[in-house]
Amino acid sequence: MIRKLDKITNKKWFSSLLWVLLLVIAWEVGAYVVAGAKRTPENILPHLWQIIGAAATGKKVAGGMTALQAVFDSARATLFRALLGFFFGAVSGFAFALLMKLSGVVEKLLFPYLMLIQLIPVLGIAPIILAITGDINVSRVVIAAILSFYPVATNTLAGFKAVEKEKYDLMHICAAKTRMIYTKVLIPSAIPYFFTGLKIAAPMAVTASILVDTLQGDGGLGCLLSQSLKHAMSIYVFWLIVFFSAFIGIIVSKVIGWIEYSVSPWRRC
Amino acid sequence: MEKEIRLQKIGRRKSLRQRAKESKKWQKITTVVYPLIFGAVLVGLWQGQILHRWFHTDTFTLPLLNKIGEIMRDNMDKILENTGATVSVAVIGLVIGSLLGYLVAVLAALFPKIGMGGPAVLGAFASVPVVAIAPVLNNWTKDLSDEASIRSMISKIIVVTLICAADMGLNAYRGLTEIKPFSEDLMAIYAAPKRTTLWKLRLPNSLPYVFTALKVSVPASIMTAIVSEYFAEYITGVGRQIRENIVLAQYATAWAYIATACLIGIAAYVILMAFQSILLRRYS
Repeated sequence: MIRKLDKITNKKWFSSLLWVLLLVIAWEVGAYVVAGAKRTPENILPHLWQIIGAAATGKKVAGGMTALQAVFDSARATLFRALLGFFFGAVSGFAFALLMKLSGVVEKLLFPYLMLIQLIPVLGIAPIILAITGDINVSRVVIAAILSFYPVATNTLAGFKAVEKEKYDLMHICAAKTRMIYTKVLIPSAIPYFFTGLKIAAPMAVTASILVDTLQGDGGLGCLLSQSLKHAMSIYVFWLIVFFSAFIGIIVSKVIGWIEYSVSPWRRC
Repeated sequence: MEKEIRLQKIGRRKSLRQRAKESKKWQKITTVVYPLIFGAVLVGLWQGQILHRWFHTDTFTLPLLNKIGEIMRDNMDKILENTGATVSVAVIGLVIGSLLGYLVAVLAALFPKIGMGGPAVLGAFASVPVVAIAPVLNNWTKDLSDEASIRSMISKIIVVTLICAADMGLNAYRGLTEIKPFSEDLMAIYAAPKRTTLWKLRLPNSLPYVFTALKVSVPASIMTAIVSEYFAEYITGVGRQIRENIVLAQYATAWAYIATACLIGIAAYVILMAFQSILLRRYS
């Protein structure tokens, strides 16, 4: 019996499960305390089952939609734009890293500015970008793209630079052309770094997209979030969004992990 | 000896480009000069209103640089006050969060069976968008104080703390556990107690990882402070001022605050780099 228990506790998922359980217990204890002390506990810390219940009921909260429908509907708009921006940012980040690797002049020209982009609080500029582009949808995509550009570019560049000298030497011995060196050695070895960059960038793109939503009322998760916070609709919509965005943040990095796994067969051993 | 001389004579003279590539001095000069040229071009494009034409905008939404500088000089007191609010939130949150994250990492490294999942759960926190946490904490801290300024500051600090703790916990855990196998074996051979292994091996080994974490979390703490200001009850801070001024259509003032935010970010990074070069001298 004890050995069996030991076996279970040694499993990798066991400790994660334990931590999640701990968090749930802490949440519920907090919820009980709040429920006893406050007049409107659902604003501060509702019970988890209340949130799940709000997701499950068919009660209409806004525009003839149930809470879950409303969340999914606006999530579609927000996430699509986040994805679009993320895609542009990732592609241009990779392209810039490649360009910087290809030409030393470009690298010297741009690298300090690449560092600067990271230090500029892009989300702080979000309202200005909205003012410049004038269109909320365009600015959402632009901001998500800028935010995902930086981690992808720097990580990919680091990947290009981490290639050992021996590999170059071997390629030179084989009299490989520059294009060959890139397609056979540099790009494959930078792929893991590229995906690390993507994993950092993805939650940021989602955050950016939600934040830009709150700036102007034009649908989207952020818009729904601020409406619900101002009690224009059930407060449980707000809690659903909190959990939904947390879930999206976690699931997105998992999905990128799977994609990495499927495009890099040499890591599967 | 003779052969070498002859070889040199036969060898083609190197092209100017090749020679420039090999000269160290030239390389050093260009690392400084090229970015400066790029910066000068950028400033020129901005001041010459060519950027405005590209982005189809006017000097009202994208004011000229000298105008921004002028406003920054005129509103120095107010800007400094707001900078103080943002920086104090970011710094306090960063310190508490980093300590907390490190503590979790140490506990997780000491009790691997239970602790293994801890950093993973913390990592989940890192991917939760700030916009989702900030309003919740606003509600939580409502009763902590009667002063709106104090309670919204506390809620902002907690948001920054959570984000920084996640970063630090993940990286420090890696630093505490990914040690060279032989050194761990050596400690086992010495029959060193867990405490000694922690002090002599794990903690020093984690120091570079701590700086890796800080490189991410220092800019992130400033960004988080700015974003949580958007949702805060009390109107203060650089981020909030950007938003307030844009709502009032005072774009030039908003740009002055954006410039301030950039300067805060750069200053924080420079300070961090200075610390790193002092503390990590042993490692390089």
